Amino acid sequence: MHFFLLGVSHRTAPVDLRERLDFSSRDLGAAVQSVTSRPSMTESVVLSTCNRSEIYVASSDPARARDELVSFLSGYHHVPAHVFQPHVFALEDSAAVAHLFRVAAGLDSLVVGEPQILGQVKDAFQSAADQHCVGPVLRHVFRWSFGVGKRVRTETALGEGAVSVSFAAVSLARKIFGNLQGRRVLVVGAGEISTLTAQHLRSQGVGAIVIASRTYAHAEALAADAGGVAVPWEGMLHELSSADIVVTATGSPRPIITRAQLEAAQAHRRGSPLFIIDVAVPRDVEASVGDIEQVFLYNVDDLQSIVQENLSRRAAEVERAESIVNEEVARFMAWRRSRGAVPTVVALRQRFETIRKSELQRLDGKLGPLTPDARARVDEVTRLIVEKLLVEPTEQLKALPDEETQAAYTEAVARLFRLHEHDADQTAPASPEPTPERPRDR
Amino acid sequence: MNAFPLFLYVIAGITYATHFARRNPSIGRAATTALLVGALVHTFVIGMQTMEVRHVPFANPSRAVSTFVWLLTLSYLYLELTTDERAMGVFILPVVVCLQIIPALFPGMEYADPVLDSPWFGLHVASLLFAYASFALAGVLGITYMLQFKEIKKKHLGYFYTRLPSLQVLDVMNSRAVTIGWLFLTLGVIVGAVWTMQARPLAPADPNLRAMALDDPKIFVAMLTWAIYSFAVVARRTLGWTGRRAAWLSALGFAFAMLNFLPIKYFVTTSHTFY
Repeated sequence: MHFFLLGVSHRTAPVDLRERLDFSSRDLGAAVQSVTSRPSMTESVVLSTCNRSEIYVASSDPARARDELVSFLSGYHHVPAHVFQPHVFALEDSAAVAHLFRVAAGLDSLVVGEPQILGQVKDAFQSAADQHCVGPVLRHVFRWSFGVGKRVRTETALGEGAVSVSFAAVSLARKIFGNLQGRRVLVVGAGEISTLTAQHLRSQGVGAIVIASRTYAHAEALAADAGGVAVPWEGMLHELSSADIVVTATGSPRPIITRAQLEAAQAHRRGSPLFIIDVAVPRDVEASVGDIEQVFLYNVDDLQSIVQENLSRRAAEVERAESIVNEEVARFMAWRRSRGAVPTVVALRQRFETIRKSELQRLDGKLGPLTPDARARVDEVTRLIVEKLLVEPTEQLKALPDEETQAAYTEAVARLFRLHEHDADQTAPASPEPTPERPRDR
Repeated sequence: MNAFPLFLYVIAGITYATHFARRNPSIGRAATTALLVGALVHTFVIGMQTMEVRHVPFANPSRAVSTFVWLLTLSYLYLELTTDERAMGVFILPVVVCLQIIPALFPGMEYADPVLDSPWFGLHVASLLFAYASFALAGVLGITYMLQFKEIKKKHLGYFYTRLPSLQVLDVMNSRAVTIGWLFLTLGVIVGAVWTMQARPLAPADPNLRAMALDDPKIFVAMLTWAIYSFAVVARRTLGWTGRRAAWLSALGFAFAMLNFLPIKYFVTTSHTFY
């Protein structure tokens, strides 16, 4: 059984094509069922985010699976195959495993190291599992990929540091205030970045968002959008003395918050810190405000340079993350191979056990005078001898370095011990393919 | 005997530093384990010495330092286990290790002066040692606050920014440590004064007791320390001296406390020499 993957991602396809091939999560269940119903595929997981649409399957015939998946995509999305075929990539076995691990680790993301992707991989797996479209092949490789994603996140700094201006502002706020719950945010002027920042702050659980704009209607509109309260423009300075975080984004040509005004407000603040995010150009807050004790002033350029620093720091971590992924791919493939040896090992054990039993039976007459206790001991001793004889070959078969060698060895073992003839009723043990998850219900 | 805990503290210190640099959670757990083992061994050492002289060993300066280190380690472990924040270990352990070198090199003998045979004296020293342990924590919290404050204020988010807890958390912990330390310092000073009053009529010729006055260097610096921390406690609540100013005050106060605890104790004092 092969692990096979076909899809499009931000690396291979433009956004308009990705949009046309997008599976919204509501359709995922139907999609995986439809894929699994095709003859060449037994398991499937569909991973669909704004940067990728990928279908992972377990298939006995990858070439056929490829054709069937292309026709499935074409039929499901009503897009002619020739439109998307040049943008499709397909991988199998270790290459597909490596791709999944890289995706889960955030290495294949548009913004390297972004944290959401691991959750999306987990959700994709879960919704396929809910439809009973996941079997042993996908279950093992996906579960392993969750571990890889977690390992990369804890052992490298790949996901660290905000990489957008509004997230940089929020993470700074968290570094100053710790928990943002119960904090009071004042937004001055309505703009795109201030709206975005207010929304991020809201999702961090800030206590209240107060919005002031020269045009009261604008303040009200943003208040409705970000879940805050609008206050009249004249009330803005008063709000300064009770706010913890201030976001300014007006189009004013002159500063609207001066050092003198803030120093007056500080008198009422009892030394509690104030974080001012000035995203307006030209700036809304006098630069010297940043010199006031317990006031932290960041303008849009400051935040931008933090983002740049974080991006370059992430890039430096990519190499370490890649080596973790490579190491895990090697470990996973070795584990899969060791599972591939299992049928041969089982057949070998059965063969030895049969011989042991039949010899004991043959000697039954000669053992006649023995007490039941002594008989049990004979049984135990012979069993232990067989066990000891088999330990080393079992370990060696499981630890073979690649599939070709493994096929040769299992074939040799099968011939030496005539496993084919004796176990004709059982699954062929010396299959050249790794068959890690073949059910063995004996 | 104090060399055993010292050795374990050195190991814990190295492990905390590695954890701080690499930020690997399992190294962090190893550091905590090493420190816990060190504290346990230290507890055993102090227990042995207590059994030997029938009271907690703190009349001899070396042994008092050892007891102080022990209290500091326990206070830090309490802080770490309740906040699940290991970043401060790398700052505390150097203090612990440096101070523990003293009792490890100069074991000292606990001299059983009959004048000291009073519960008041025990309470006096125990309160002050605990106050100093709190101030040590507060001082380290203050230094780390200033390091991070500087990075955020200057907009160079670097090494400490990614490793230390938030400013708010550091400030709150600092405030608690200073307040608790101040309470025990006050208690220790009052109990000390009461004890001197009681002891004087019993041993009128004792030079130690006669030297106990405000012009004694140790008592003078102790009062100065008390004044600094009293100001820190009051200024936080009335003048809004939080954050960097409070951090600075707690570092200054700790410098004075240590000055009193080590050089003055060893070289210049005329009172408090019970060995």
